[in-house]
Amino acid sequence: MDDSQARKFQKDLNAGLVALVLLAVLERSTEDLYGYEIAKRLQRANEGEALFKEGTIYPVLRALAAAGLLTSRVVPSYAGPPRRYYRITDEGRTMLGQWSQIWRQTRGFVDRFIEGTDS
Amino acid sequence: MSVNAARSIDEYLKQLRSALADQDPALIQDALYDAEEYLRAEVAAHPNRSEADVLELIASTYGAPEEVAAAYRDTEVKVKAALKTPAPRAAAAHASGVRRFFGVFMDTRAYTSLFYMLLTLATGIIYFTFVVTGLALSAGLAILVIGIPFFLAFIGMARVLALGEGRLIEATTGERMPRRPVHPGPHAGWLNRISDMLKDLRTWTTLLYLLLMLPLGILYFTIAVTGLTLGLRLALSPLVVVARDFGWLPPGLASNMLEIDGVGYGSPHSFIAALFCMALGIVILALILHAARAIARGHARLAKALLVEPGA
Repeated sequence: MDDSQARKFQKDLNAGLVALVLLAVLERSTEDLYGYEIAKRLQRANEGEALFKEGTIYPVLRALAAAGLLTSRVVPSYAGPPRRYYRITDEGRTMLGQWSQIWRQTRGFVDRFIEGTDS
Repeated sequence: MSVNAARSIDEYLKQLRSALADQDPALIQDALYDAEEYLRAEVAAHPNRSEADVLELIASTYGAPEEVAAAYRDTEVKVKAALKTPAPRAAAAHASGVRRFFGVFMDTRAYTSLFYMLLTLATGIIYFTFVVTGLALSAGLAILVIGIPFFLAFIGMARVLALGEGRLIEATTGERMPRRPVHPGPHAGWLNRISDMLKDLRTWTTLLYLLLMLPLGILYFTIAVTGLTLGLRLALSPLVVVARDFGWLPPGLASNMLEIDGVGYGSPHSFIAALFCMALGIVILALILHAARAIARGHARLAKALLVEPGA
């Protein structure tokens, strides 16, 4: 099987989904999280082959913060370098609501054809 | 994979840096910071494994340097497109010279640049005082035990100031500047960290930049204030003439407050002359906005050369 084409498809899918997943993780979290913690949460939820590389979430986190959907603060850490903690903003919550809605619609639409419930 | 898998954090960072070689130095600094935060946390989370063992798994978890570099490149393009204030210059490229000249009034970047110029006097004084005091105290305390932590704290503060200045420059001029500080690297002894700081060219260029900000700030502030006062006074001439003739001078505003260098508020005497003054004032304001945009662009380049590039 051609592995690279499968990977490219996955990458195209991830383009928007990573941002949605990150917003959802931060929305559900009761505390602020930093990059490594978020990466590990995603890794735990992921069985088997990772859907995306953890290195790719950092630039997306930064982009979300730049767009005002997340706020961040830097906290010095005893174990190593200072960490940047992220928290979702109200704007981010609104956006998450809209995106989730779009995701549900898209999923339903795609499933209809793939699962063949539409005839 | 084209390159050998990294065996240490430093090696990984080197590979990531070369994969991003063609990118903006500010982006490289951000990417290296993120990677180092992750890698050090990952190594710390597996205390019973060696750094090389942990690094072996990195390509499948964090991603190989080329993959990570590609993610930063893609995201940067998208974010830039989404966040950038639409540049009127592209649209105005076909416009006539006159429209292009006055089009500067519609450019937010010109106003933020002017604001930055006004701000530099204050920041310049703060930075200059900070560096001179810090250096003098560091030299004076060097023979005492507290000299070492004091010097470390001083350089650390200078880096924070440099990062803050970079954010300010990006906000006002649009030049991409780092969003993360330089990673302090692995924990080493104080003496090692001091010698690293002393050897790091960027430490010195950062201090130089902070010192330079005072003379530059004075210059920028003077240009901005002179241009603004002159331009606004002339542009508002008709208003002044009308106010004078009808006795509408706002309460509390003395007539001599409208004087500049002997040109009294009673001047010009006729309304027609005032209209000419207004046209001249508007041209001067356009000129000062053009100048602000050019100066801010040049200054951002200087800031990047001194605050970002020596370490990238």
